[in-house]
This record gives sequence, C-alpha cells and structure tokens, in this order.
Amino acid sequence: MLATVVTKTFLDRWKGVAIGSAALALMFFFGMAVYRDIDLAVYTDLPEALRALMNIPSDADVGALAYGAIYSSYGALTLASLALSMGSASIAGEERKGTMGLLLGNPKSRTHILISKATNIVLLSALGAVLLWVAGVVVPDLLNVDVTGIGVAALVFHMFVIAVFHGFLAMAVGAWTGKNSLASGVTVGVMVISFFAVGLLPLFDSLKNGVKAFPWYYYSGSDPHINGIDWGHLTVLIVGIVLLGALAVVGVNRRDLRGHTTRVSLVDRLRANPMTAKIVDRLAGSTRVSRIWVKTASENQGILIVVAYVMFLMMGLLIGPMYTFIDEALVSFTDVFPEELLAIFGGGDMSTPEGFYQLETFGLMTPIAFMLITVTIGARALAGEEANRTMGLLLANPIKRSSVVLEKTLAMIVQAAIVAVALFAGVVGGSIIGSLGMSPMNIAATTLLGMLIGLVFGALALALSAATGRTRVAIFGSIGAAVALNLANGFLPFSEGLEGLARLSPFHYYLSSDPLVNGMNWGHAAVLLGLFVALVAAAVMLFDRRDLRQSG
Amino acid sequence: MTDQIAIHTEGLTKHYGDFEALVDVSLDVQQGEIFGFLGPNGAGKTTMIRTILDEIRPTAGRASILGMDTHLQSVEIRDHIGYVPGDLAMYPNLTGKDTLTYFANLRGGVDWPFVDSLADRLDADLSKKVGDLSSGNRQKVGLIQAFMNKPDVLIMDEPSSGLDPLVQREFQTMMREVASEGRTVFLSSHTLSEVQRVADRVGIIRHGHLIAVEGVADLRSKAIRTVNLYFDETVDGADLEGLPGVREVKVENRHVTLSFDGQMETLLKVVTQRYSLLDITTHEANLEEIFLTYYEDVGG
Repeated sequence: MLATVVTKTFLDRWKGVAIGSAALALMFFFGMAVYRDIDLAVYTDLPEALRALMNIPSDADVGALAYGAIYSSYGALTLASLALSMGSASIAGEERKGTMGLLLGNPKSRTHILISKATNIVLLSALGAVLLWVAGVVVPDLLNVDVTGIGVAALVFHMFVIAVFHGFLAMAVGAWTGKNSLASGVTVGVMVISFFAVGLLPLFDSLKNGVKAFPWYYYSGSDPHINGIDWGHLTVLIVGIVLLGALAVVGVNRRDLRGHTTRVSLVDRLRANPMTAKIVDRLAGSTRVSRIWVKTASENQGILIVVAYVMFLMMGLLIGPMYTFIDEALVSFTDVFPEELLAIFGGGDMSTPEGFYQLETFGLMTPIAFMLITVTIGARALAGEEANRTMGLLLANPIKRSSVVLEKTLAMIVQAAIVAVALFAGVVGGSIIGSLGMSPMNIAATTLLGMLIGLVFGALALALSAATGRTRVAIFGSIGAAVALNLANGFLPFSEGLEGLARLSPFHYYLSSDPLVNGMNWGHAAVLLGLFVALVAAAVMLFDRRDLRQSG
Repeated sequence: MTDQIAIHTEGLTKHYGDFEALVDVSLDVQQGEIFGFLGPNGAGKTTMIRTILDEIRPTAGRASILGMDTHLQSVEIRDHIGYVPGDLAMYPNLTGKDTLTYFANLRGGVDWPFVDSLADRLDADLSKKVGDLSSGNRQKVGLIQAFMNKPDVLIMDEPSSGLDPLVQREFQTMMREVASEGRTVFLSSHTLSEVQRVADRVGIIRHGHLIAVEGVADLRSKAIRTVNLYFDETVDGADLEGLPGVREVKVENRHVTLSFDGQMETLLKVVTQRYSLLDITTHEANLEEIFLTYYEDVGG
C-alpha cells in the first residue's frame, strides 16, 4: 500500500519534474553558449556587491558564471517550487479534491500516507537533481567549455536538500491546516523572501549576519559549486527537514480531516450577512454571471489582487522614493555597468529615474506580472472548463464556440487592464513622491506595451489551450516560449551576426525603443497588437474544429 | 421546424484511433416521444449524445435535430434543446441560483416563476454553492437548467443518477409532461426500470452498434414470458411442445410451466380445446430480462 501510494504520486508528478529540469538544462545550454562567446569582463568588472547578488566570483570563468548565475539560482528555485507544490498537494491537496477519505478507507494510517507522500517529495526531488546533474555534466562537454574546479555534484546535492526542505515545509503547513493554497503560499513566501534576503542583506554591513536566519543561506551561502558540499550548512537544513516531517506527522493526526469543500471568499461572507446581502448579492451574484466574460474576469480574483497590489505599491509607488535614497550610489555604478549587461535586465541608464524604473519595474517584473494574469486566463479559459467538465454544459447554450473564445479573451484584456491601471498609477505616484518628473504619457506608453506583451503570451496560452484542451500544455508552452524568447532578446544582441534575430522575439518590441524616455513607439505597439490578434484568431479557428475533451 | 422528426442520424460513426465508439448509427426519434437510449457503460451512449450536440465531430455520417444539421446549425439547434450531461459537473463556486442565472443569461432570459416551480417540484436548494451540494442535489440543479427554457428537445445522459426515489418519480412526471406537450425527450440510461416506466420507444446500443429500436410495448409483446397453467387433470407435455412460440415445457402432474413468446390467443385456444384450464398466471419479462436476452443473442 505504501508502495502503491508512492508509485501513483510518482507517476502523477514525474512529468512536471522532467519538464522543469529539461527547461533548466536548455537555459543552461543557451547561457553557457553565450558566456562562451562574450568578453566576461562584462561580469567580472562588476562591483563586488552586485557580483555577490548574482552569485559571480571575481575570477569567474565561463563555467563558474553559468553554474553560479543560472543553475544555482533558477535551478534551485525551480526544483524547490516543484517540491513545494508536491508538499502542499500531499495532504491538503487530497483533502481539497475530496480523495483523502477514499485513500484512508484503506487499512493504512494517516502517518503511513504522510510518509509515502514525503517519500515522494524526496524521490522526485532526487530525480530532478539527477537530471540537472546529467545536464550540468553533459552541456559543458557539448560546448567544449572547461569546467575544472566546478563541483556540479555538490551544487546539485545542495539543490536537492533545499528542495526537500521546502517540500516538507509545505507538507507540514498542509498537514496542520488542510489548506492547500495556504501551504503553497506560505512556502513560496518563505522561499522568495529568503532568496532575496540572502542576495541583498550582505550588501549592508550591519545586516550581513541576518542571512543566517534564512534557509536559503544554508543552500547557497557556502558557494557549493566552488567549495564543494558544506556539511555544516546542510546539517542545518536536514535537521529542519526532520523537524518539519515530525511536525507534519503530529499535525495530520491531531485534526479533523476536511471534506471536499469550496473556498469561502470574502464575497461569500458578505452575501451571507443580512446587512450586506442585498447589494453584494446583486454585484457578486447576478452581475457576475451576466456574461461569459464577466464571469471569467471575476475569477482568479486572488492572484489579480496580489499582482495589482504588488505592481502598484512595491513595483510602482515605492521605487520612486527608493531611487532618491540610492541615487548617489547608483551614479557611480553606471560607470562600471556595461550597457550590454543592463540590456539583459531591461536596459536603461541607471542614473536616471527612467532607467531605474526600467531596471526595477518594467524590465522583468512587468512582463511577469502581466503574464501571470493573462496566461492563467488563457490556459484555463478553454482547457480549464474542459478539464472541469463544464464546457459541454456551457456549449449546450445557443452560443458559438468562437464567442466563447472571444469572451474569454475579453476577460483576459479586462484583467490585464486592471493590472495596467494599478501599475500606471503606482509609477506615476512614485514619480510624484520622489519628485522625479517622469512623463506620465511615457509611463502610460510603457505600461501599455507591457500589457501587450502580456496579452501576446496570454493569447499564445489561449491558442494552445484551444488546440489541445490541456491546461498544462498551455501553461508550460507559453511560459516556456516566453522564457526562451526573453533570453533570446537579452542575449542575441551580444552575438555579432545574430543580433538581427532579436527582432523575432516579441520582447524586442517592448522596451527596445526605450518608451519610458522616448514615449510610445506605435510601430512596436502595432507589431504586438498584430501578434495578439493573430494568436486569438488562431485560437478561434483551432477551437472551432476540434472535438471537446470529455474530462481532464 | 414542421418536421416531425426530432432527432435524425444517418450512418453516424465515431472512431477514436482504432477504437470504434460509434458505428453506423441510423436513428429517428419522433417529436413528442420519450426515447430511451439503453446500453451498458461504455456502449457509446455518451459518444452519441456528444456527437449530436456538436461537442465532437463524427468520423462519418451526419445528424440533424429538428431538421437542422447538428454541425452547421449547432447554435440554432441549441436554442431549442435542454441538455443534462452524464457525470454532471458545474461551477463549484457559484450557487445554484447563480448557475441558473448564468445559463439563463446565455439564453437571453427564462421564465423565473417556472424555474422556481421546477425547484419546488424537485425540492432543490438553489442558495448553496454547487460545490457544497451532494451529488443528488447537484443533479437537481442540472435538471432545472435543462428544463427551464422549455426546450423542444431534451437530451439527457443518465439524468437520474443520485436522485432519491421520490425525486425520481417527480422527474419522470416532468418528462411525461414534456412529451404530452409535443416536445421530445432523449433519455440515455442504464437504469432499465426507469426507461421502461417512461419511454415510448427504446434503442439498444452495444459496442457502438445500435442493435435494436423497438416500441416498449412491442418489445414486451415479443418477449419471452413465463406461463404457468393449472389444469384439473394430468397433462401430456407433448401436446404443448411444438406449438408456435412455446419452449421449455415442464410438467408436474396438473401444473405446466413453459416459456412463451408467441400470440397468447393461439396458446389459449389449443390448451382450452384439449383440457379444462383452471388458472393461468404469466410473468411478463421486464426490460432487464429482454435486455439480457438481446445481449446473449445479438451482437458482440
């Protein structure tokens, strides 16, 4: 039985791990290929603090750079994310789906189930680590890059341990609360905060020692790809893993299991309250279900609120005053910062507020924020309804399939527009608070271009969803394409002869015209809009000609 | 719309790779009838329904509903149908009322007092979230959404699953009312007793082949029934064997048991001419038995 649960979970999950590892291997390959061809002084001449943040040693060669900058950060984040999604699904996920009762109908204890789930987190993290190790050994060989002195095995082993740590953390939270989203939310929070803390705290002398409070430090603090396995650090993590495992066992055994339940949102509570019932009922009830697009746009509120909030406050409003604080220091940085390197982070002259905003907010975070929203809707719009078996019911109504696709697209645009408004308001506000005097028109133009980039990849997810009816294909396909095309746009300009190819990446049409400084480039906007329209049209056609899937 | 045929299929075939889910199904369902579509799990009932609803496209053949092509005029058709999918799923975060409002809006409105009366009849709670309802109560919401726009053709795939007997009875009444108004019910089921109770005709599907379409009454009259005959004297079994429709004659002194699938009149004439018949009981085979007989004899 134990083996059965392990096997089933393993078979359910191995693909995700394999795909994640393959994507990383690909990224590693491209990164190393580029590092091989460029002058590494670009990196090694950086100020020490920045090199620390990017995990680049002063005498970095191609190998150290590729392993340090790509593998050890992205690799570990990916592997840990996969582990934590397994961890949160392990107990809380089965409860939410209502399958826990069925599982426990068999003569096995809760502890048994928990242990088999935990075994899986370990096994699958190990699988991911092994795949990454193979890629880490094979890629340099393929590219003829000398990697003597780099401990791939040590690095990957550290990755494995930090991944299991996050998996167990999520499992423990899930075991105590039975709440899947809480478990993954808390763990992602811990992971991201500790990742940034370990990168940023060493920049400040007084806070240097604070990093020891964060789990990520015990993964990367010893630079395992250079210094080998640090058993002292790993012991801290392993003790943590054992404690979390024990905590999970206690947690899952002491509480009532949750049945299959729907989430109770704030709106539900307001609807249940006689004081507010009437007005909320009107808004949340009848209005919400008035049209397909309104219903779709009213979904995923949680992620929409978080994204809009983060873009407004942290990426918008706060960046302005932050710029005025660190203005001085940055001016000196710009002398040593090669322009080409900045381009990877979205480019921009760091000594100007526009450049700072471009680097901090618009370069990477803005496309990510928009894509979080658009890809979610795009992937779930069609494939999600098929997986949930509601598409048949929806299409039993007198509406065309094309209308369904178009209404879902409209919902995507509406949600993206909400984020755009939040971002625009935040950046304008930040510019005013910091007295930076940035042009609101240019901010609007850049925001609009960012929204269009998000819509392009959202429409790609929609088209994949329309073609296959599979949410996973839509999500992995569009995110994978976005990562690859963003890398291409960042790296290709460095390579002589290939720089023209960057124009093939949609990202080229986002910031290459420097819209924060130069204002709207309508030509670029038209390219993105055209791509978006073409992909939506493809989605309409693909969805119209296909058999609906019967279930997920 | 004046066409008397509600659902018409011609050589309808659906393959999934090598798997033949539906093979050359030709069928006419008349307006105003309740048509039972019977078959075991995996026989092709759901594939048939999904094909005529244009959810999936046939490999060969064509179908029409109310004279309209199921693919080319699917949107117009859906103005006239109500549908309950098998293994019904709805939006878990919407209440029953929200769900019905959503579909009502997609249809351009419904008669709400009628919806409320349906909810009353089925004893449905529309204030709870669909995701928090038991499967039977969820099914009620599904039934209401199918009935609420008073469709000309109701297509239902295993609609009574999860319903308690009282609600099932009310549901059957609702189906009969639909038929009495000249509207059509296409009822897929493996619950034979239900089909037997409400349907005018049945189609039996097995391994994707439509193996029989019969009126329920005809099917019964054709069927084997067990006849018990009680006489006031000892009977010679040989007198009965060889009569048309008579099989498996068993004689115990003055009591005869036989299987019979012929005209009762013929049997009675012969018997009463020769002997003095005291009593007769016949046990009419239900569809279950007929169904099993078909499965033993046909197809495969």
